[in-house]
Parts: sequence; structure tokens; C-alpha cells
Amino acid sequence: MTKFKLTLLCMLFLSLTLSAQDKFTISGTLRDKASGEELIGATIMVKEIPNTGKSANEYGFYSITLPKGTYTLRANFVGYSEMTKTVNLDKNQKIDWALESGKVLEEVVVKATKEDNNITKTIMGSDKMDIKEIAKLPVIFGEKDVLKTLQLLPGIKSAGEGNSGFYVRGGGSDQNLILLDEAPVYNASHLLGFFSTFNSDAIKDATIIKGNSPSQYGGRLSSVLDVRMREGNDKEFQTSGGIGLISSRLSIEGPIQQEKSSFMISGRRTYVDLFLKATDDFKDNSLYFYDLNAKANYRINDNNRIFVSGYFGRDQLGFGSAVGIDWGNKTGTVRWNSIINSKWFSNTSLIYSDYSYEFKINGGENSFTNQSKIKDWNLKQEFQYFPNTKNSWRFGLNTVSHTITPGSLISDSNASKSQIKDGRKSWENAIYFNNTFTASPKLSIDYGLRLSSWSILGGTTYNIYDKGIKTDSVKLADNAIGETYFNLEPRLSFNYILNEQSSIKTGYARNTQNLHLLSNSTSSNPTDQWIGSSYNIKPEIADQVSLGYFRNFADNKYEFSAETYYKTMQNQVDYKNGADIQTAKDVESELLYGKGRAYGLELYLKKKTGKFTGWLSYTLSRTERQIEGINDGNWYAAKQDRTHDISIVGIYQLSPKWSLSGNFVYNTGSAVTFPSGKYSVAGKTTYYYTERNGYRMPDYHRLDVSATYEKQRKGKFQSSWNFSIYNLYGRENAYTITFEDSKTDPSKTVAKQTSLFRWVPSVTYNFKF
Amino acid sequence: MNFKKIMLSILLPLWGLGGLSCTKEIELDLNSSNSKYVIEAELPQNQVAIVTITKTVNFSDSNNFPPIKAADVIITDNLGVTEKLTETASGVYKTQKIKGEEGKTYSLSIKTEGQTFTAKSTMPTAVKMTGLRAAVSIVRVPGSKADTYNIFPQFIDPPALGNNYRFIQTRNNETDKSLILGNDNIGNGEPNARPIFSRDFDIKLGDNVTVEMRCLDKPAYDYFFSLNSINANGPGGGTTPTNPVTNLSGGALGYFSAYTVQKLSTTVK
Repeated sequence: MTKFKLTLLCMLFLSLTLSAQDKFTISGTLRDKASGEELIGATIMVKEIPNTGKSANEYGFYSITLPKGTYTLRANFVGYSEMTKTVNLDKNQKIDWALESGKVLEEVVVKATKEDNNITKTIMGSDKMDIKEIAKLPVIFGEKDVLKTLQLLPGIKSAGEGNSGFYVRGGGSDQNLILLDEAPVYNASHLLGFFSTFNSDAIKDATIIKGNSPSQYGGRLSSVLDVRMREGNDKEFQTSGGIGLISSRLSIEGPIQQEKSSFMISGRRTYVDLFLKATDDFKDNSLYFYDLNAKANYRINDNNRIFVSGYFGRDQLGFGSAVGIDWGNKTGTVRWNSIINSKWFSNTSLIYSDYSYEFKINGGENSFTNQSKIKDWNLKQEFQYFPNTKNSWRFGLNTVSHTITPGSLISDSNASKSQIKDGRKSWENAIYFNNTFTASPKLSIDYGLRLSSWSILGGTTYNIYDKGIKTDSVKLADNAIGETYFNLEPRLSFNYILNEQSSIKTGYARNTQNLHLLSNSTSSNPTDQWIGSSYNIKPEIADQVSLGYFRNFADNKYEFSAETYYKTMQNQVDYKNGADIQTAKDVESELLYGKGRAYGLELYLKKKTGKFTGWLSYTLSRTERQIEGINDGNWYAAKQDRTHDISIVGIYQLSPKWSLSGNFVYNTGSAVTFPSGKYSVAGKTTYYYTERNGYRMPDYHRLDVSATYEKQRKGKFQSSWNFSIYNLYGRENAYTITFEDSKTDPSKTVAKQTSLFRWVPSVTYNFKF
Repeated sequence: MNFKKIMLSILLPLWGLGGLSCTKEIELDLNSSNSKYVIEAELPQNQVAIVTITKTVNFSDSNNFPPIKAADVIITDNLGVTEKLTETASGVYKTQKIKGEEGKTYSLSIKTEGQTFTAKSTMPTAVKMTGLRAAVSIVRVPGSKADTYNIFPQFIDPPALGNNYRFIQTRNNETDKSLILGNDNIGNGEPNARPIFSRDFDIKLGDNVTVEMRCLDKPAYDYFFSLNSINANGPGGGTTPTNPVTNLSGGALGYFSAYTVQKLSTTVK
């Protein structure tokens, strides 16, 4: 069947690539004039032919093929001045662009660019974060953070107070594919999630796609967050940094050889533990994280370029010398870009990704270490082909080797007290194609197909369970291939442009996921385990349909969208009631499987230009699970189910020096399990539960404000101060609610609420020279 | 050990100092529920069986759990010896003849108000506890000045997998209310190397400590294990709470456990 489909694809492909005569191609790269950074997603429009435009790909490359003639090309990018060039097209041409960043503070007048990308782009449920805008918004501890700003968008919910974890359209936090320079980041948070692993100084671009992603992405059900690091200024050296109350950052970048190669290195460290040192009780404890982003690139010649980038981050937590916990991610990417000719672009990536945690107890004879690790080697090859103005093709393949070492207990003194679990190997493959096709000036279609496979590899024994009872086992020799799961994932999006101001989009996508995060708690821990699909655990499958209306007002100053979606999820995994996740020999004996559904409406109104900018977002949604063995097999609200979710964000440029900003969030409390009765057992008051997640946490709301002061620029030296207050009116939002016998009257039972942050003020000083 | 708990036990006081975090009592509107039967049935080694039957109450009620009187409670062993239990106090039923013996399997049957509940429990063979050893705790509680101690029960786990233990620790005649459980998933067939870890129950130099060791069958262990995971529902959410996994059929809460009993005492020096 697969063979037949592939043949069909080839035929389809060939039929669309029959080229007409007398056509020539303009191609090139779009860059920032000052730093030489490629501008991802910048657009080139042809003035003479309306609705003909191409976006630069993730390496700033574009290609447009037009009939012979004279054209006016316009290059645009958000926050940059428009540039136009007239071209007399009688042969293939290479045109590179260097756009100038349109700073409001400078005398350059930013032209009112026609920013109607949201109307014209085909992919829906997608948003690009403006890194400059993020810097102005108030955040907890003053640490600007792309993942926290993301949570202010419709359909994306915070995983908890001050948390960088997020849920997209009813999916779990492990169902987001988080990529840093193409390398998957398994745990994108530091310090219980209060910080994300993304140092915004090192980031150029962050794009989120909520489920309807093109087929080059795969492996997670809910969303793709594609984060790209900056390349580093290839013209001059630059140092930037920030000093905050609990963390500091420093970045250095510059050319290695002028306009040929450059580097960027950026580091961060928190110093919460310095406060601990000041206290008597906690002075022996440590608690900090650090991370380092580094990147270098080299232009071999006009058409070939090599990039090397890496991330290294680690959290450390210790109680004196007795207990030490540390965890972190390592990623590395080597990429080779090649412009084969004016219509063909190739990228080859070799990616390494590693997440591990270690929990150490030092107590002489009772010393032990609990560690777990996930390690990937990943090879990607992608071709992009721009045959004409109507089609933009991508096709490629991806092969990944995963090695997962589940939580093993290792005794330092006595090997027989250890519980070493075998590592598991698996092999994931995908081939795909995707085409963005402009069928008519009004209709564009983005369609693609991804064939993914997951093979269980040998070297260990896999048990098969029926309702937690072992029924069989499969012993696979080293490198033998066990069960292989194949999945065909169609992706389809339509955009119908109604008129210059509005469009309707609809889409369907199937996504599959073969790596599952097992978490028994209501929020994620670094110790949560990843597990691959096995004989018991089947690939998770999500099907999502969505429909949206997009409208711009007042010469594209305002942008409005309304999107609805319905999503079903198969083969969802959860722990059974009373699961032993610490010492069970095989965690698969403790699992249950079921399905899920999620649906919602997302409204978004954004003011994009002017002294006052900001947005308003509202989400109405529901997400439920049905798992045999939980809640008597009845549907129940998933923990991330929140009916209403509102975010209001405003940034006001008061004067060239001062800007003010604020954001307000409100959401219905998450679904939670509270007792409906109580009894006494083993001499203790114990609670009686009638229903899974049948209650709600109290509603959550909060207002944060911040003010940024940018000092007058002195030569190359720029600096700014950011003052912010998180939770201005001191709302005591419930972080947890627990139940206990009243201390004052033991015949009564009371509910106790813990809230984490009331009024967190912070000051950050940023500089650049 | 709960990771999040450790982390928050560092972070919360720190934020507490800064006035950021706070804990307070709140009013919650919790549903009322249909009352359920709660059965706590224990058959200790060489002792008579004690079965307590009560009912659940609503959360807002006071902690008076109504006893179930005049129930028909019968225990039968695997040799066919059977006995109807006598109600010695309201809702409390005891055997007169049957006393728990190692290796025997017991069946419990309860009939009350038109409902029937049954359960089975096997008393495992006792694993000999040979002594108690006290050692200075490796984890110092933040803020404490003096050393605290942990007790290591001395015993050798038998070679066969599947031994389950429960320990009850007493300090100068004050009983530790926490549920302390162990099994041989780790260290099977080895001399015990795990101390009794208990929060909020510090043992200091000079204390007189008694440890009762119980060997349980797997269903009873699973009950206590799952009961413990709900009770451990601390800051950060913990496990999604559910009713513990019971070995009673018929829709009652609680458990039936026949277990071995050994007690040893020591003075920490």
C-alpha cells in the first residue's frame, strides 16, 4: 500500500513541476543590515503581480520564478523598513537584501508596511514571537522568557504559577515538540519550571504551530515550537548582558572572518543560593542553574554554509553533602546549507540531544544514585524546491536513534542492592513532502504527507501485560528489530482570501507521538520518565480539524482572528491508581491506556503598530480523557482543562526613553480531584473520592506591570533598566490545596491553600556595546 | 522520596522570608456523597482478629464516623475453621478462638443492612527481625541543631521475591502515625539496608525506640502503598488522589490484612 502511495506522490510531484518556457528565477538571501543575521520569514512581494510573494525560509533564502519582464520587488519584515528594487528580468539573478531595522528612536521613518501576513499565509494556528516585544513585557523575577510570553496567546495555557511549561489545545506538556536549532529539548525548564531553558539573548526566532503543522514537523501531538538561535554578528563585535536580582546573563558575538564567519556565545546563571548562604538554616544548601548557548557559522562560498550550534544547561540542587540532585539538557546541531541552484535549496542536519537527571544520596554504606537518561542521534535531510511562483516544495527524511535509560537505582557500596533497568533502544524514521500551492490569487493550499515509523530495537526483554498482569515477554537480541509501527500522517490547510482584509482558513492534520512522558503528579518534575512506544504502549495519534476567520482592520493596524478546533487523541497513557513508580521492576506494569478529545474557540485581537500596541486573547475550551480503570471508565476533565482563559497585554511607548507595559491574565481553575467525604483508617482521617478531576481550583487572575527606561545611546553603548512587579495586586492564587485535621479543633477537617507569589518586584539592568 | 517536596522545602521558606508565599485556611464548597462502608479488618499473628466497621461522612461534618452495629462478621481459615465475630464495642468485632497463624489464608465475610462484603488475606511466613540499629541521619532537617537518628531494622530478606513489610515505630511510648512500608523490589534476598524514614518524627540521643515489624501479603501492601501516595499529596500537587486499592469486594473502603508481628526495643546511644 505504501509503495502505491509513494508512486502516486511522485506522479503528483512530476505533474506539478512541468516548467513553462521563458521564465527566470530571482533568488537570494534576506539579512539584517547591521548584524548580517538572516531574517526568517521575511517576504518578497512582486508589485506588478498582486498576491505573488515568497517568504524567506528558516535560513533567510528565497526564490521566485517569473516570466521575462521588468518588476518591482519589495522586501518586508516586521520591525524593519521596507526596501524596493527594480529588476529587469531576462536571466536568472541572485539578489541579496540587507534590511534596516526600523528603530522608533532613530530618525529613520518606518514605512507603513503592508503587514497582512496573517491573512495571506496558509498555515493556521501559528504565531511568531517578536523577541524585541518580549523584552518589554513584565515577567516573574524580571527574566524575559519566550515560553511565558507564549502562554499569553490564545489556545496556549500555562502549566502553573510562574511556570514555563505549557499546554496547547488540550494536550499535555509532553505533547509539544520543542526544538532548539532543530534539536528536541526534552525538558525545557529550570528550577521547577520557573525559568525556561531559552535564554532570550541567544534567540533569533520562535514560532509556534498549534497542531496543523506542515509535514516537515512530526513526533508530538499538540504543537511545534521551533526556536532558532542567533548566528552572531558577522560585521562587528558586540557584547550584551543583563544583571537581575536572581540571575545574570552575558553574550558575546562577532565575526571570525569579516562577513564570512561569525560566532555567538551566551551564558546565564542564577544565584538564588547566595540568598541561602545568608541564612543560618539553609547555608549548606545549593540551588542554581546555568546554561550556555553557543553557535558558529562559516560561509564556504556563496552557496554553501556550515553552522554548528550547541546548548548546555544544568540545574543543581543540594542539601549539604547528603543529597544532590542535578538535571539538564545538552543539544548539538551541525548543519550544512547548500543552494544547489536558484530553485533548489538543501539542508543537512546532524543533531544530538540528551536529557538526564541524577539523584544522589551520600550516606556511607547507604549511598545510592538514581539516574535516568534519554539520548538521541538524529539525521535530517531536506530539499526545498521553488519551481514557480505557485509552488514551494519541501521533501525530506529524518532518521533518529533513541536510547532511553529508565530510572535506575545504583548502590555505591553494594551492587546487589542496585536495581539497574536495561536501556531501551528504538529507531524512528520519517519521510515527508509538503507543498505550499497558490491555486488562484484567492486560494492557497498547504498539503503534505508524512510517513513515520517507530521500531523497537533489541538488547533487552519487553514484557507484555494485560491489565497489569504479565502474559508474555519478548526477548530481542542486540540490534534485532522488534515490532515496527507505521503511521501515515496527512496534513492539509486551505486559505481562501475573501478580500484584502479577510480570509477563511481550514485545516486537518494527523500527528503521532512515540515518546511518552509518564508523570503521576499534577505538574511536571524533572524526574518524570520518558518511555518509547513498546509492545504495550502504542503510538499516540491525534487528529485535528480547525476552522478560522481572519480579519485585519484600519490598514492592518489591527489584526483579528477567530479559530475553532476539534481534536481526538488515541492511545493516551496514564498511571493506574496506586501505581508504584519508584521501585516497580517494569513501569509498563503500572500503566493504563485510553483516549482523549479536546475542542475550543480562540479569539485574538492585536494592535500591531503605533505608540500603543498589545493584544487581547480569549480561549473557550474543553479537554477530556477516557481511560479504562480511571473514574470507572467514564469521561473526565483532563487536569489542564480550563473553561475560560483571558490574556490582555499592552505596551505603551510613553516617550523615547520610557515604555510601560502590563499584562492581565484570568483563567478558570484547573480540574482537580477533591474529596467528597472522609473516614478513618489506620488511625488517620482519610478522604473519600467520588470522581476524577470533578472539582475546580479557584479562579486564577493576576496583573503584572513593568516600566523600561532606555538611556540615551552613547556611541556604541546602549543600556536600559527594567522595573517590574509580578502580581501587582497581590492576588493569592492557589498553587495547591491540601486537606488536614484542624490543628485547633481536631474534630474538624480543613482545606489549606498555599500560594506562591504575591508581589514579586524585580529590577534588571541590560547593556549592549 | 518526593522530588518536588524537597525542592519546595527549600524554596517555600525562602519565599516565605520575602513574604511571597503564604498558606491559609480556605472555605471550599465540597459535594456531599452517599455514605460508604469502611472496613478495617486485621488479624495479627497469635492474636484475635479485630474488625471495625464504620461509614464515611461528608467533608464538612465533624470527625465522628458512625459505627455499624449488629453486622454479621465471619472469618474462616483455609482448613475450614470458621467463627462468627462478637461485637465487643459498637462497630468493633473480635474473634474469641481464631488467632492469626503464619502461612494460613483467611476469608472474611461481612453481612450488614442487606449488603455483603468479602475479602481474603494470607499471613506470610515471618521474616526474622534480629535487632535494631540506630545511626545518625544523613539528611539534616533544615534548621535543626542537634543530630537526628534513623533506625535500621535488622533482618535478612528471603531469596524469593515478593516480601512486603510494614513498620510501626514508637519513641518513648509515642507512636509515629506515618505509614512506613517496604518491599524487596530493591535488595531482594539481602540484609536490610534501608532505615525507617519518617518526616516530623525526630529520634534523638537517649530516646527509647520500639519497632514493630509486620509481614504482609501483596494486596494488603498495595492498599497501604496507595493510601500512602494519597496522604503524601503535598505541595506541588503530588499524585492525583484516588481511593486506595482495596482487597475487599462489594464496594467497601478499607482492607483485610493478616500479618505477622515482631517487636524489638532499643535505646539510642
